[in-house]
Amino acid sequence: MAHIKVVRRSMRPEEWTDLRFGWLKRYIYGEKFEIENIRVRNARQTAEMEYEYYPEGWQPLKRGDMYFTPDGTAFFEADVVIPEKLKGKELWFSLKTAAEIIVKVNGVYVGGVDPNRDRILLTPYIGDESVLHFEMEGYNRSKPDDERNPESLSVRGCRQIFEGAYLAVINHTVLDLVYDIELLLDIAKSDLFNEDYRAFLNRELDRALNLIDFDNVTNEDAAATKKYVDDVIYANTDYKGSGDVALVAHSHLDLAYYWRRIHTVQKNLRTVLIQLRLMDRYPEFKYTHTQAYTYETLEKYYPEVFAELKLRIAEGRFEPVGAMYVEPDCNIPSAESLIRQCLYGQHYFRRKFGITVNNCWLPDVFGNSWILPQILKKSGVDYFVSNKMSTWNDTNRFPHNNFIWRGIDGSEVLACVPPTHFITWNMPSQIQENWEAYQDKNTGGQTLSMFGYGDGGSGCTEEMLEMMRRFEKLSIMPKTEHTSGAGFLEKNLKDNASLQKWDGELYLEMHRGTFTTKCEMKKYNRRLEFKLREAEIISTLRHLKGAEYPYEEIRDCYKKLLLNQFHDILPGSHITPVYRDAMADYEEVDRRLDKIIGTGEKYFNSLNFTRSHLTFIEDENGKSLRFGKRGNWVIPNIPALSSAEISWRTFAGDWCEIADVVTTPFYKIKFNYDGSIESLYDRELDREWTKGEFNKLKLYKDNPGVYDAWDILPNYKDREVEVKIISPLKTVEKNSEVASFEVVLGTEKSTWKRIIHVFRQSRGIEVENIVDWNEKHVLAKAEFDCNVLTRKAVCDTSAGFIERETHRNTSWQQARFEVCHHKWCDMAETDGGIALINDCKYGVSLEENKMSLSLLRATIRPDVTSDLGHHEFAYMIMPHKGDFVSAEINNIAFEYNVPLCKADLTCENSFGELYMQTMKMSEDGSMIVIRLSEQDGKRGSIKLGGKVKILNMLEDVTGESETLEYSPFEILTIGIPAD
Amino acid sequence: MENYINTVIKPKLQGDGGEIDYVSYENSVLTVLLQGECSKCLIVERCLDWIAYEIKRDLGVEISVKAIRKKPYFWDK
Repeated sequence: MAHIKVVRRSMRPEEWTDLRFGWLKRYIYGEKFEIENIRVRNARQTAEMEYEYYPEGWQPLKRGDMYFTPDGTAFFEADVVIPEKLKGKELWFSLKTAAEIIVKVNGVYVGGVDPNRDRILLTPYIGDESVLHFEMEGYNRSKPDDERNPESLSVRGCRQIFEGAYLAVINHTVLDLVYDIELLLDIAKSDLFNEDYRAFLNRELDRALNLIDFDNVTNEDAAATKKYVDDVIYANTDYKGSGDVALVAHSHLDLAYYWRRIHTVQKNLRTVLIQLRLMDRYPEFKYTHTQAYTYETLEKYYPEVFAELKLRIAEGRFEPVGAMYVEPDCNIPSAESLIRQCLYGQHYFRRKFGITVNNCWLPDVFGNSWILPQILKKSGVDYFVSNKMSTWNDTNRFPHNNFIWRGIDGSEVLACVPPTHFITWNMPSQIQENWEAYQDKNTGGQTLSMFGYGDGGSGCTEEMLEMMRRFEKLSIMPKTEHTSGAGFLEKNLKDNASLQKWDGELYLEMHRGTFTTKCEMKKYNRRLEFKLREAEIISTLRHLKGAEYPYEEIRDCYKKLLLNQFHDILPGSHITPVYRDAMADYEEVDRRLDKIIGTGEKYFNSLNFTRSHLTFIEDENGKSLRFGKRGNWVIPNIPALSSAEISWRTFAGDWCEIADVVTTPFYKIKFNYDGSIESLYDRELDREWTKGEFNKLKLYKDNPGVYDAWDILPNYKDREVEVKIISPLKTVEKNSEVASFEVVLGTEKSTWKRIIHVFRQSRGIEVENIVDWNEKHVLAKAEFDCNVLTRKAVCDTSAGFIERETHRNTSWQQARFEVCHHKWCDMAETDGGIALINDCKYGVSLEENKMSLSLLRATIRPDVTSDLGHHEFAYMIMPHKGDFVSAEINNIAFEYNVPLCKADLTCENSFGELYMQTMKMSEDGSMIVIRLSEQDGKRGSIKLGGKVKILNMLEDVTGESETLEYSPFEILTIGIPAD
Repeated sequence: MENYINTVIKPKLQGDGGEIDYVSYENSVLTVLLQGECSKCLIVERCLDWIAYEIKRDLGVEISVKAIRKKPYFWDK
C-alpha cells in the first residue's frame, strides 16, 4: 500500500499574518519619484583610491539594465530637480541594491545603501536646494557583507540588475506599525519564548491586522492597528521575562577576506558614515568601532567624515574600542608583534582622540595565546572581549562568559566571551538566546549582546534601533540596556569579586588549519619579525654612534607587517588577490629592511647571548649546500650584541662513517630509504630515541568541509595518501662538518625532496624540505614516534612556554588534537628528550609519544590556488640531555631562526639572563627602549650599572630602578635616556 | 584567447573569490572551467555574457562562452 504523507495545505493563522505583513510593507513609501538620468562609469580598483576605468566611459543607467562587473567599482552621477509635489516634505533617497554604495549629495556624504538597507534620509543635509547632484561610488562583491542575513544571500553575483533609484517620502504611520509587527513576529516565531505568550501574540496580531483593508490600505486603518498593538499587546504584562542584557552596537570589519584591503577603505567609510547618520537621527545611539588602521585610512582619504567622527568621539557616542592597530590573529604573531599592535594602536588613539583605550576587542579571532594578558595589562588594557570560543567551539562548551583571564605570567585581565555571535540584528529572539546561553548569570552581571551587521562592515540599521526603542514595552523580554563597550565592561567586570578565573590559553576548538594554511605567509612573517628586531637593534646602536634613526621607515615597515597579521590574512583564510597583496607587502618590507640593516665588514650577533651553536653562513666559496646556496656550517662563537670575523677551519679527521648505519660523534643512525629514521641511537646518552615511525613524511586526505582553509577535522588520519619513493636516500655530501643525504618522494602530482644533514659539532639533525606541491585537500605532516614516556609536551609561545597534555583522557585534550606552537616543541623524560625546532611552522599534534609537525595543506576555499607551487622550509630534530631549559633549546631555536648579518657594532650591556626582545628608540625619540623577556619560567634579578626608567609597553615611564627584578615569563621594558 | 582569459578576465573573477581557467576555443565557442565562488553562482550566465562582450570589445571577435563548473564537494549536497 502506498504511503501518502499528509501535508497541511491550508494556511495557518501565522502564515496569514506573515502574508499580510508583507503586503503592509509595500505601503512604507507614501510617494516615490524615479531618478531617470543616472549615469554610470565602470571601473576596477587597483590600489587605495586608484582605479582603472572601462573604455565605455559614462553610460546611462536605466531600471532593468545590468550593472557592476567582476571585482568592479562603479561610479554613478545624477542631477535631479526635486518635483513640486515632494518639496517641503521629508525627503529620502531609495535604492535597493546588492552592492555597497556610498552616496554624496551636493557635496555632502549623506550615507550608504547596501544589502542591509535601501534608503537614506536627505532632508537635513540638502538645505533648501531644489536641484540635487548625486555622486555615488559602489562596489559589488560576490560575497555580500553578511552571509547571516538571508536576504543578502539571494543577491550574490558579480552582475546585478539595476532596480531603479528614487526620491521618496515615507509613511511613518505604516513604518511604525511595520516595526511593531516585525518585533512581535520575531517573538511569535521563536521557541525561546513562553509558549502561551506566543499563542497570545499570534491571536492578537491576527486581530490587529484584521483592522486593515488590504484592498485599500489607509492611514486611519494603520493607525487603528497601531493603537490595537499598543492597547492590547504592549499593554499586556501577564507574561514575565527574565535576564539583563547589555546591547552594544558594533560592526565587524575584516580588513581583507573576500575582498582586498584596498576595498576596505570604502567599506570602512560606508560603515562609519552609516553609523554617523544614525546618530544624527537617534540621540540615544552609541557605536563601537575597532582598529586604529581603519581610523587612519578614514583620516587620510575622507578628512571631512573623520572630522565628524572626532566630534562624536568627543561626545562619547562613537567609541574606539580594541586597543590594537588591527584585529590580529592571536596564535601566530610573536609577543613583540602583539605588543606593537597595542603600541601603534594606542599611540594613534592618544594622538588623535586623546584617549587610551582600556579594552582589547577581538570578536572574530581564532583563539588567543596565553601571552596576551600580560601584554594587554602593560599596554593600558584592563578588559578583553573575544566571541568565538563560546559560539564556535566544536567539542567543549567554554565554561565562562564574564570572567578573569589569567595569563602565562600571572597577569590578569577582565574578560568577556559573549555567549552569542558578534553579528546579530538585535532581534528579541537573539537577545533571549544570549541570555539563555549566558553561564555567569549569578556572578557576571549583565551579559553582552553585540548587534550590527559585519564581516564586511555595514553595522547597525534604523530597524535595529527602532526595535531597541520598543523592548521596554515587552514584559516577556529580558531587561535590556543600550550601552557603550567600555560602559558594559566597567559596570559588570570591574571590582566584581564574584568572577571566576580561567588560567590558560583561550584555545578555539575550530580553525586549527589556520596554523598551517598558506605557509609562505607564515614563513615571511616569522622571518620579518626577526628582521625587524635586527633592524631596530642595528639602527639604535648606529644612532648611539651618531647616525640618524629611521623612525618613519621602521614604523612603516612594522605597520605593514602588523596589517598582514590581520586574522583573515596571516591565517590564510582569504581569496587569491589578498595573498598576492600580502606577499607583495612582505617583499617590500624585506627590501626596505635590507636597506636599513645595510652591511659591514664583520658578522653581527643581534642575539643577547653568545651564539654557540652550529649556524649556516652563506659564502659563495663555501663547502656545503643548503637550499641550493653555498656556505659553511660553523659555530660562530660571537658574543652577545657584538661583531666578529668568522673564519672556518677544516677538521681533518673522519668524523662520520657512512654504511648501513651512519655513525656520527653523537649518533648511530639507521635510515630508511624514504628518509625516515628506523633507529636513532644516542652514543653520548646511551639510548634509543625512536619508537616507531620517526621523521616520516605522511600525507592525509584533508576534507574539512565548507571551512576549508580554516579547519582540520579530528578524523584527518582516516585516509592516508601514498607517498612514493622517487629516488631513494643517497649520500650527497660529506665534508669536515656535515654529511647530507637526499631522498626524493612524491605523489602523482607533487615531488618532495628531503635533504637530511647530520653534523660533526651539533646534536641537531636538520631536514631541508624542497617541495613542488600540486595537491588538493591534502595535509602533509612530519611524524616522530619518540622513545619518550611523558604526559605532557612543551611548546614555545615566543614569550615563554606552554605545557600541553599528550593524553586524550577527556574531551578537552581530545579537542586539542592540533595546537599552535612557535619555534619549537619538546617531549622529554626527566633526563632527556627530543625537541623539534622549525623555521616557519606553527601547527603541531602532540599525542602520547608522537610529535606530528604540520607542514603543508592544499585547500580550495576561499582560494583554489592556496599553497600550490614551490616551497622550501626546514626543521631540526634535536635530541637532548636533561630538560629543554638545561639543553638551551630556546637559545638554539633563536639561533636557528635568526641568521647572522653583517654590521660592525657592539653593545656593552647584554642583559644576558633574559631574552632581549627589542632594542629601539622610543617613539618620541627620548629614550632607548629595551624589552626583556623571561622565557624559561625562572625568577631573579639583574643589577644595572645605574638607574633606568621602568616603562610600560606604551613607553610611558612608570618608575625608576637600578635593579631589575623578574619573575617567570615576565616581559620588562626599560628606558635609557638617549642623551 | 587563452592569454586574454589569464591576464584580463582571471584577475577580475579572482577578485570576487572566483576562478576561471581556459579550456578550449573552437568554432567561436570559448570553453572555460569555473571554480571557487563562480562554480556555485546562481547568476553566472550574466557573467559569461559579460566575458563575451569584453572579448568582442578587446579582441574584436564574436564568441559564445560555455562554462564547465567544478563545484567543491562541500557545496554539492
